Amino acid sequence: MDLQYMISILPEFLRVIPITMLVVVVSAVFGFLLSVPVAGIRIRKVPVLNLITDLYISFTRSIPILLQLFLFFFGIPVLLQLLGFDVTNISAMTAAIVCLIIYNGAYMSEVIRPAYLAIEKGQHEAAESLGYTRFQKLTKIIIPQMTPIALPGLGNAIIHLIHDSSLVFAIGVVDIMGLATIISSGSFGMQQVEVFLTVAFIYWGISFASEQIIRYLERRKKRVLNRTGYEMKEEAEYNV
Amino acid sequence: MFDIVTVFESLIEIVKVVPKTLFLALVILILSFILGAMLTYIQSLNIPVVKQIIAVLQSFLRGTPNVVLLYLVYYSLPLVVTSFLSLFGVGFDPASLNSAAVVIVTFSICYSVFQSEIIRGALHSLDKDQIEAAQSLGYSTSQTLRKVIIPQVMTEALPDTMNAFLIIIKALSLAFLVTVVDIFAQARLVGAQTFSYLEAFVAAALVYWVICGALTYVVNKLENRMRRGYV
Repeated sequence: MDLQYMISILPEFLRVIPITMLVVVVSAVFGFLLSVPVAGIRIRKVPVLNLITDLYISFTRSIPILLQLFLFFFGIPVLLQLLGFDVTNISAMTAAIVCLIIYNGAYMSEVIRPAYLAIEKGQHEAAESLGYTRFQKLTKIIIPQMTPIALPGLGNAIIHLIHDSSLVFAIGVVDIMGLATIISSGSFGMQQVEVFLTVAFIYWGISFASEQIIRYLERRKKRVLNRTGYEMKEEAEYNV
Repeated sequence: MFDIVTVFESLIEIVKVVPKTLFLALVILILSFILGAMLTYIQSLNIPVVKQIIAVLQSFLRGTPNVVLLYLVYYSLPLVVTSFLSLFGVGFDPASLNSAAVVIVTFSICYSVFQSEIIRGALHSLDKDQIEAAQSLGYSTSQTLRKVIIPQVMTEALPDTMNAFLIIIKALSLAFLVTVVDIFAQARLVGAQTFSYLEAFVAAALVYWVICGALTYVVNKLENRMRRGYV
């Protein structure tokens, strides 16, 4: 074990953390935006769209994220060509982000849906009887109560996303893992254990920080659930 | 461009490795279950220092992505095994370590943490009164375990365990990094032979989809059956 070496390669890793962060943040934000209509469709059970979203969620759930990455990397150009665009290949970064957005959208929709369903019918009825419009009901009654319930799940989704983003190196994005494979192949098989231990510590640090935030949110969720007397009918159970 | 016939051809090649993948996943599931049970037991003993060490280990295993752990074990396991065996004076060639062993070790350790949580949750769900009732009926310890505790804990733990099985099958797709051939790795090989990656990956996706669908269906059936008579 060579601690000195581990510390000496740390700055190089710190330089690529923004790339990982970019992938994670973009996929988290757009994934969330995607998850809202998906959850809406599944809650309202819109006839045909419901079937499509069911398929979509079972797709992202059944297929390893690694395979999804490759499918998108090779599939998007073909799809675009079929639609008449003249694209022969796309950058690995684009494919990775599109894939993670789609994956994360499904995940987050499975967090939002139970949170919405946890709100009692009585709340909807009370809002309607007070003459709230649909939009008012949503923004003033439902979403404020949904937020504390959904936040821990969304936090978990982001931790999973951080972990899954470590796979984008497989299609050629140079993120933390990508750099690690480059360094380890450049060190002539001497210090690979040190390299990957450093990477492990970086990811551990990121996850640990995120976990503390989630713990805090969990406590708040418990408080809200206690105060309002709700019960979660189904917790999000969605795994990598 | 996309060619349906190639998808079918790849599908036939990929299906050949499905039994191997399922077997590997099963071995990992069983090993991680045993490790997880041990972990749960050790934690329940509440030994001061050991407890903290396990907590840190758990946090580490949960906080690092599987790929990183896989590489870590891939590069460190030969060294560890060699130095361990040399303590007993046994010579060992690090290069002769099977990469399938690396995959099994990594994922067993990785998922033992999740398994231990599943087991703990299942044990928690068991009512204390059940054990007392069994004792008052004169059941021996092994009878209580066999006829009261295990059937109920099994029912409770089964869905999560099967879920873990699916997760392991999917996580095995990482095994291609250390040259173990599972469904995904086979798809890559087939794609490389014919230069038709997309078709091979679509075929692999179909295989995964079918496996997951079938297993979920079986678990639901099984769960309904096991719950009968207990609710």
